[in-house]
Amino acid sequence: MGSPEQSLITEEHRAAIGRTAGPVELRVRAEDVQRVRAILDDDDPRYGEETGIAPPYILAVIEPAMPWQLLPRILPSGILTQTEWTFRRPLRIGERIFATHRLADIRDRLGGQYGYSVIMNVMTEYRDEAGELVATSLRTSMQFDPAQRRERGSE
Amino acid sequence: MSGLPAKYFEDITVGEELEPLERLPTEDLAVDFFGRDNPTNPAFRDAEVGRRQGFGGALVPGLLKLAWITQYVSRWAGANGRVRMVRAAYRRPDIAGRPLTIVGRVVDKRIEDGVGVVDLEVATLANGQPSVHATVQVELPPRERAE
Repeated sequence: MGSPEQSLITEEHRAAIGRTAGPVELRVRAEDVQRVRAILDDDDPRYGEETGIAPPYILAVIEPAMPWQLLPRILPSGILTQTEWTFRRPLRIGERIFATHRLADIRDRLGGQYGYSVIMNVMTEYRDEAGELVATSLRTSMQFDPAQRRERGSE
Repeated sequence: MSGLPAKYFEDITVGEELEPLERLPTEDLAVDFFGRDNPTNPAFRDAEVGRRQGFGGALVPGLLKLAWITQYVSRWAGANGRVRMVRAAYRRPDIAGRPLTIVGRVVDKRIEDGVGVVDLEVATLANGQPSVHATVQVELPPRERAE
């Protein structure tokens, strides 16, 4: 079977855009900060228990898994292709953060290794206990059919 | 702030290149990064699983590379700098045990609402080929504002 000649994204799939999940409660734990700083060999004095400030990359560890339940399954396999983080203020060690996910977009992609793929964006907002936005994460995933893999990709 | 030099907006030159940084990702590093109690993709810790998925061994997590990139720029920005955005595109998988080089370059700088904003392009290179391409935005205070 070759690549589809028309979009596999249906009205039902499009109706899922805007759907949300959460909030999920997270905690910026000192032990996570300590462990990850040690692994990354990060001796930056701005971060650590004595300052109460977590390095921005701690988001990689506390970020909840991709909320797959929000994403319609259109093609059999999926991978994360892009991540965008924005930070409004430093995260504080010990603070509680609430993550809410939203399916922001679904679109087709023609070309590349798999000929046809479906791109989905999930926006996650991180708010503190006062409801203030502290960070966002925009994750882009690609659904594809491994059977359509070409010998030479576009990348 | 002791231990990390302060940098100001005026100190930055468009086109300036950051000192390359070598990193060696391993399966253990990937597992420890997320925490041994946290479930992760088995391909991060098991080379055989990675090979079954069509890769040459255990995969290096994209989020580990993103953390390295964020740390790399945060450190370059110095005691006064603040990373405010990181956007990374995962171009090709990296395999554990193969060294990565992180490189970066300043591509733009401007003042926005009195705040210095610097844009950088950063990449991870495996055997000289980019595997992650990132755009990073940093805030740096103008000297007169910081003093």
